[in-house]
Amino acid sequence: MGRILTFLVIGLGLMVGGVWFSHNVHLGFLDKVAEMGIPLDLGMTIATIGVFLALFPVIDTFYVKPLKEAIDSRNSELESTFTEAENLKSEMGKMRSDYEKRLADTEANAREQIQSSIKEAQNLRQTLLAEATEKADSMVKKANEEIEASRAKALTDIRSQVVDLSLLAAEKVVGENMNNDRNRKLVDDFISTAEVSR
Amino acid sequence: MDSLLLNHASRLASAEGGEHTVTIAGVGVYLGVVLIAMFIYLSMAKKGFGQRVFKNFVTGTFEQLYLFLENMAVNTIGSHGRKYVPMLVTFWLVIFFANLVGLFFPLTPTAVVGFNLGMALIVFGYVQYEGARANGVLGHISHFAGPKLPGVLAVLITPIIFCIELVSELMKNVSLTLRLYGNIHGGHQAVEAINHLTEKFYIAAGEFLLPIKLLTVLVQAMIFCLLTCVYLGLVTGHHDDHEHGDGHGEAAHA
Repeated sequence: MGRILTFLVIGLGLMVGGVWFSHNVHLGFLDKVAEMGIPLDLGMTIATIGVFLALFPVIDTFYVKPLKEAIDSRNSELESTFTEAENLKSEMGKMRSDYEKRLADTEANAREQIQSSIKEAQNLRQTLLAEATEKADSMVKKANEEIEASRAKALTDIRSQVVDLSLLAAEKVVGENMNNDRNRKLVDDFISTAEVSR
Repeated sequence: MDSLLLNHASRLASAEGGEHTVTIAGVGVYLGVVLIAMFIYLSMAKKGFGQRVFKNFVTGTFEQLYLFLENMAVNTIGSHGRKYVPMLVTFWLVIFFANLVGLFFPLTPTAVVGFNLGMALIVFGYVQYEGARANGVLGHISHFAGPKLPGVLAVLITPIIFCIELVSELMKNVSLTLRLYGNIHGGHQAVEAINHLTEKFYIAAGEFLLPIKLLTVLVQAMIFCLLTCVYLGLVTGHHDDHEHGDGHGEAAHA
């Protein structure tokens, strides 16, 4: 404010001085200049300098500086808005990349789990197949054994019945009881021999 | 109304006897009109400074004027040219409103040599002050001597260049003064002459020059400010290269 007052005082002084100069000082060469078509009043020039010296600080302080502050404030506000927008954009980009990464991880996990399940199912299948095969084999083996036992038993029974029948037939032929242990053994040996030769 | 103004103007003009003599009081009256119009405009513009975006038309034009002059200063003088913007704004506003007043009134301050010489002397003095501040007093004076020449050439040519540059520097005042005076006063004279030619037909044909005069209003304000920037740039450009090198290429506000 002191600067404005100084300029205002100097300006007013020059204005007053210019008016005084215009009314009281007469310079001869100015008449010649006026004759050339250029009417010059140096007092007016001095007063004009005073007017501008007073105007410069007034316009600067009360109009130009507030305008500059308003423009600067708006620019800084815009800059902060842009910075905020940029930050939000980068944050969104980061979130998006995180989301994409998580999505990719989830997909990879799901794929891995599916693969693992498939592998597990295949293993289970193999195991079950092996167990079933083993079970079937054991059942076949058992059946074969049972068949063999039945066959052996049947053969034994048949052989016993054949022996009985032979002895009965021989008894009928010979007319005596031949059902002793020695004859039984003979017939039995004979049947065995017959089986072998057959 | 028009005749009243003309009578008033002619009374002021003939106050000291000569038909072409303009008194300081007469110019003072018109300068008062100019300043009142200018401060009304500035006050209307200032009302809109609080808004985030200047919706007020007057504030918008003032902002555009400020940015235009800032760009002109930065492009012509350099990045340190911003500090001259308040002075340029003052010159622009006074010359523009004075020229505008000249469109509707028979006299205006910018149609007076003494007023224009005052503005030119302010520019001249400020340019010398800034030149001396930027380069030192001796450096600024030696600036007029042109480039350093070897041996005999320096003795023979440097004084001549110094004299020519000194005259050239002083002629800048005359140039600034007479250009503005010639354009505004000449415009008035042209309108009066054409009106005089057609007055017997009751037609003010001189008013058809209004579009050209309107253009002159703007162009003359701009030229005065541009030349001020050029003169300041010539004496402070060197200073800018050395002391404000980091500020090179700094763009003005868009």
